[in-house]
Amino acid sequence: MNFWEMIKMAMENIWANRMRSALTVLGIIIGVMSVIMVVSIGQGGKARILREMEGIGTNIFGVYIGSTDDDYEKYRITLEDCRAIEESVESIEALSPLVYGYAVVEASPRKESAYVYGTDSDYNRIQNIRMAEGRFFSSIDNAVSRRVAVINRRLAEELFGSARMAVGKKLKIQQVSVVVCGVAESGSGMFGPESPMVYMPIKLHFELFDSEESINQIYGSAAHKDLVEESARKAIRVLEVRHQVKDSNVYQFVTLSQQMEAVDQVLAIITMIIGAIAGISLLVGGIGIMNIMLVSVTERTREIGVRMAVGARREDIMRQFLLESVVLSVTGGLVGVVLGVGISAVVCMAMKIPAVISFGTIILALLFSIAVGVFFGIYPANRAAKQDPIEALRYE
Amino acid sequence: MIRVEHLTKVYDTGIVRVQALTDVNLEVRKGEFLAVMGPSGSGKSTLLNILGCLDRATSGSYHLEGIPINTLDENELAHIRNRKIGFVFQTFNLLPRMDALRNVEVPMLYSGVGPRERRKRAWEALEKVGLADHALHRPNELSGGQRQRVAIARALVNDPDIILADEPTGNLDTRSGLEIMAIIQGLNRQGATVILVTHEHEISRHAQRVVHFRDGRLVRTEVIAEPVQAEKTLRENSQQ
Repeated sequence: MNFWEMIKMAMENIWANRMRSALTVLGIIIGVMSVIMVVSIGQGGKARILREMEGIGTNIFGVYIGSTDDDYEKYRITLEDCRAIEESVESIEALSPLVYGYAVVEASPRKESAYVYGTDSDYNRIQNIRMAEGRFFSSIDNAVSRRVAVINRRLAEELFGSARMAVGKKLKIQQVSVVVCGVAESGSGMFGPESPMVYMPIKLHFELFDSEESINQIYGSAAHKDLVEESARKAIRVLEVRHQVKDSNVYQFVTLSQQMEAVDQVLAIITMIIGAIAGISLLVGGIGIMNIMLVSVTERTREIGVRMAVGARREDIMRQFLLESVVLSVTGGLVGVVLGVGISAVVCMAMKIPAVISFGTIILALLFSIAVGVFFGIYPANRAAKQDPIEALRYE
Repeated sequence: MIRVEHLTKVYDTGIVRVQALTDVNLEVRKGEFLAVMGPSGSGKSTLLNILGCLDRATSGSYHLEGIPINTLDENELAHIRNRKIGFVFQTFNLLPRMDALRNVEVPMLYSGVGPRERRKRAWEALEKVGLADHALHRPNELSGGQRQRVAIARALVNDPDIILADEPTGNLDTRSGLEIMAIIQGLNRQGATVILVTHEHEISRHAQRVVHFRDGRLVRTEVIAEPVQAEKTLRENSQQ
């Protein structure tokens, strides 16, 4: 009897008890499926995040006021600060101030809530914003606080129906009328499309929101990837000198690589947790296989006796039952792989992230299910092989 | 061809000691048809298990075609069972999930016969017992007599030196029993050595020689000058 015939025989025996076998391998199926899903969705998500971050540019950094318990007034960042940084830190290529706001944007008869950002004309270059229609506001617009704004495609579609229709139209923000000079492509975030956005000259923003000159964040881009951290630190140093800071934690910075590391860490933790669940599931699945194989050995005691009487050696019996448990667990593994790949493809499609199906993971999952089949099959197979043929033939 | 000398078998469970066979001496010629008679507990099944290499004697010797069986290890015994011995059991012991043909193939799975050759030989064996037309039936689709014929085909298929039949008619009605005896006698005529264990007097009359067992001892040997021919009995019965 060659190997394939033995496998065929094992499959027939499994098929003869298909319901029982299917329930038994459920643990293996779930275990393998979750491993495949976690790995491919995790990798897909990571690939997506990295791609998005790299689209923004790896050279950028942000500087902001961290937690201060006293005297926010003293530390607030001004346009004058920005100019000082730009002049004194040579490694910085471009710098943009940013203020956040949230307002109802009206283009009669429609209204929409949107994030309103005040910034300068370098911002679109630093953040790699692609224009769908029109233009980003210029440095002159910014200098004279011309009443213009750039909106994103999402907002343009909400208010005007399309990006093209929006250019040149008027918007009312905080009772002030501004003209749409361009429409930016919406980026898409991890959790669905970007919110409605408005970008406008920063001084216009101060005027509209009636606020004093206080910048939430400075975005800069360094001349080179290796100069990002150094540039950020120098920028902070300028701020600290200008505001006579003694506590060095007032101004803080964030870089893309920090954010990537954070993403990596979160993904690693999630992977570990679900990996542990998958491991437990495989363990439970293995015990299930051992259980059902023990039942099978008992049920087929007579068969074992007959096979021995007609010339099967103990190792033939051992091999037969061991192969049966391996075929059982590998079948579970294969079903798990198919389900895992299928479900992650669907999930990735729904989340609009690339599905990264790792061939290595599939092989590993299958090797693991073979190992489970062997490990948990040895005891029952050994029990089968140790039967006394005379007793086994008499077994009722 | 079979030579058993001073054979003794003791079952020692630790609590009870049972002397199943005591000093048995027996010779069976090639081509002979021997019946082993005795009440239950007389040791006849123990003898059959030892002759069939399923069990070992406690002491004494057993030679099968000159091979000293008591010196063989487990794997060698399995090999002997596979090549030189064909078992026929009272309860048929067919594998329920396989059809007749595949049941007959089972011994060849362990003797390295290729699939095609296996199939061919299984067909031939089923033809010998007149069951080729039921080759693709499962045991539960066959009558008791037909099942026993499948079992005989399985015993034959590796062309063994001896056929060991343990109460082969015990679970059958008289007519089916006679049919089985007719087949066994037919095989014997074609040269097979047959050892048949039974406790039925009429069945033992089909053999050429009967050895009687009692309390683990061979107590009497009886030569039957004119064995009953099962085929003749069947003919007579059908004429009535």
